[in-house]
Amino acid sequence: MKSSVGRDWALRLLVFSAAVGLWELFVRYSQNFLLPSFAEISSALFRLFLDGRFWKALYISNQALLLGYAASVVVGIPLGLLAGRFRWMDRLLNPYVGVLLAMPVAPLIPIVIIALGLGLSSRVFIVVLFAFIFITVNTRAGVRNVEASLIEMARSFGASESQIWRRIVIPGALPAIFAGMRIGLGRSITGMVMVELLLVASGLGRLLLEFSGRMQSDLVFATVLAVIIEAIALLTAMQAIERRIAGWAPDSSIG
Amino acid sequence: MKQETAAKVAVESRSTPWFNLPLGLRRSARENGLEILALLGGAAIWEVLGWGLGLQWLPPFSKVMEALLQFVRSGTILANLGSSLQGLVFGFGLSLVFGLILGALMGRYRAVEKALDVYVHALFVCPSIVFAPIFFAIFGLSDAARIAIIVVYSTFVIVINTTTAIRTVDPSLVEMARSFGCREHQIFARILLPASLPLVFAGIRLGMGRAVKGMINGEMLIAFVGLGALAQRYGAQFDATKVFAIAMVVLIIGLFTNWLIQILDQRFTSWVN
Amino acid sequence: MIKVRGLSKEFGTLHNGSSGVLALSNIDFEVRDNEFLTVIGPSGCGKTTLLRIIAGLIPYDQGEVAIDGRPVTGPGPERAVVFQNFALMPWADILTNVTFGLEIRGTPKAECRATAKELIKLVGLEGFEQRLPKELSGGMQQRVGLARALAVNPQILLMDEPFGSLDEQTRRLLQEELLNLWERERKTVVFITHSMDEAVMLGDRVMLMTPRPGKVKEMIDIPLNRPRSREVEKSGAFLEVKEYLWQNLRAMQVSES
Repeated sequence: MKSSVGRDWALRLLVFSAAVGLWELFVRYSQNFLLPSFAEISSALFRLFLDGRFWKALYISNQALLLGYAASVVVGIPLGLLAGRFRWMDRLLNPYVGVLLAMPVAPLIPIVIIALGLGLSSRVFIVVLFAFIFITVNTRAGVRNVEASLIEMARSFGASESQIWRRIVIPGALPAIFAGMRIGLGRSITGMVMVELLLVASGLGRLLLEFSGRMQSDLVFATVLAVIIEAIALLTAMQAIERRIAGWAPDSSIG
Repeated sequence: MKQETAAKVAVESRSTPWFNLPLGLRRSARENGLEILALLGGAAIWEVLGWGLGLQWLPPFSKVMEALLQFVRSGTILANLGSSLQGLVFGFGLSLVFGLILGALMGRYRAVEKALDVYVHALFVCPSIVFAPIFFAIFGLSDAARIAIIVVYSTFVIVINTTTAIRTVDPSLVEMARSFGCREHQIFARILLPASLPLVFAGIRLGMGRAVKGMINGEMLIAFVGLGALAQRYGAQFDATKVFAIAMVVLIIGLFTNWLIQILDQRFTSWVN
Repeated sequence: MIKVRGLSKEFGTLHNGSSGVLALSNIDFEVRDNEFLTVIGPSGCGKTTLLRIIAGLIPYDQGEVAIDGRPVTGPGPERAVVFQNFALMPWADILTNVTFGLEIRGTPKAECRATAKELIKLVGLEGFEQRLPKELSGGMQQRVGLARALAVNPQILLMDEPFGSLDEQTRRLLQEELLNLWERERKTVVFITHSMDEAVMLGDRVMLMTPRPGKVKEMIDIPLNRPRSREVEKSGAFLEVKEYLWQNLRAMQVSES
């Protein structure tokens, strides 16, 4: 159906052009002289990519992202595996998981600041708070969803607990685990952005503050756009990895 | 999150305990009892640690509860709570309107879906809070900025679920209706609408949760009114007790609104298998 | 009566003309008034497609399909369909499900309910009017489907493997009930099935189809008297026709592999 793919993208381009057009109209007729036009945003984006400060800020911000995400995975997956495998642990953790899933992390950020200050450790911790529970939940769901009949089958051939883990449970739960890692990445990015915007210690948050302080709204928009691009890029990459590793399973992720 | 994913998430969220927040409506008294016990146990540990460790950032659970009661009694937070909730209702209302209409259009017309799916998906996956500086630039320090953030937070999950809801209506039901001579508008009203209700409600539930997060996240950033402003203020005063209490208030709002939607959901979709 | 001449249907033809799958090729047959025609054939012979074309649910590419001389262009009041997976609206109770077809045609509410109640009684589901489909077994759900189809008083009943998703006991029971119902009014029926027993037990004639592309191989008369009871299954004539069908179907199966 080649022709329809082309047509789809034509439609999407149309929508994009319409959106840009509406934006231009909005900018022109708004009283707010700070609003940048599409052209201004594009050129600002270009300048941003050429600016060393941007890459430095990106690097600093992403430290929290990387470390926080890694920590979330290290904490979240084992927790999820245990909760999936052992009923009593599941029951014990269940109410807390429900709370943690529903709980907005943002109001707790001041408390983390009181406890850990404004440095890298508090930024990393906040990212972990945003992300780890989703990794846990999906891992646990993955383990639970491994067909009981497969485990029974393995038992009937005399498999030991560790063999069951290695050959049935982990491979079976892998798609869900990877889905959890994808969602956790998204949440980590959210955490990083919240950190940047609230703590404004260094990195992109500081940059945004500088730009808006100097009324350089085109650069503000460009920076935001850069973050959006990074988020979409990372998540798309993660999705591709997920599909490669776990393409055989139907998608039933949580979050 | 593609359509099938959204559908499955939605279906999961109806039945998985981990999504039915604590004290879900459909579970046995015994299960609820066990969970309450677990929560009480946690509160007890918190209490002991709070007194024992004497950390500035970990006040005992009882002190937090005390602060919460103080709020309620003295009406300190009433004004802030009021403006938070106002923003929530308005923002979520807008999300519903945008989300349901857009989702219905995308579900019904392939061309609309193909034109917009890339953007909806992109907006859904990227961290919604990132739009805060943009809304701040457009609307300044105002209610409009807060409400816009809530809209961005919750609209897209509603769109995706609504689209999937309409697309995954059992085709044999549609065929059955046509075999009896139904016209397009009759099929929409008599088959598509009722059949898509469960997933649409799931989307609304998820959207509600997102809206509450959008409310508080937005208020922490554009912090001139609402609970977020309070949290920032108490944080600046290093008053961990009061910050925890505010966090509790937000949690309660989240649980309560979720419970409301669950009630509505069950009222309208008790027929689901 | 239903007349089909030179019917062909292709699936998946692209706009530039390159071809897809030929589901039906040059189908020619007639169904007489008040006849019970069963249709049998292996998977891929297009029998469901044929039924849907007669029902007016999908268009056809070549040939003519006419009911009492009028060409089929869409669904119509003289035909009603019974679906394999029941196609009941899960959010509506049994009564509402049965009145569906009548409501669409604008019948006044009171009359709808009265007719529906009668038919619900007829199919043996009296007392279940307020229940939801999920509370009913498969067999009961299909009875609702049947009641719904009968409610609009069609001349022609189109049944697409209606008992295919039921267990054997339920299936046999419903076959007998269907025959009893049919004896009362003798509507024209086109009944698609996978089962040779069913085809011979129920039909006045069996239409045997071959796959890829779907064609009519043969129309076979069933020389069994009506009304039929289970006893008939042991008769020589029954076994002969069934054996004949089997030989043909087997040959088709073998030639596939």
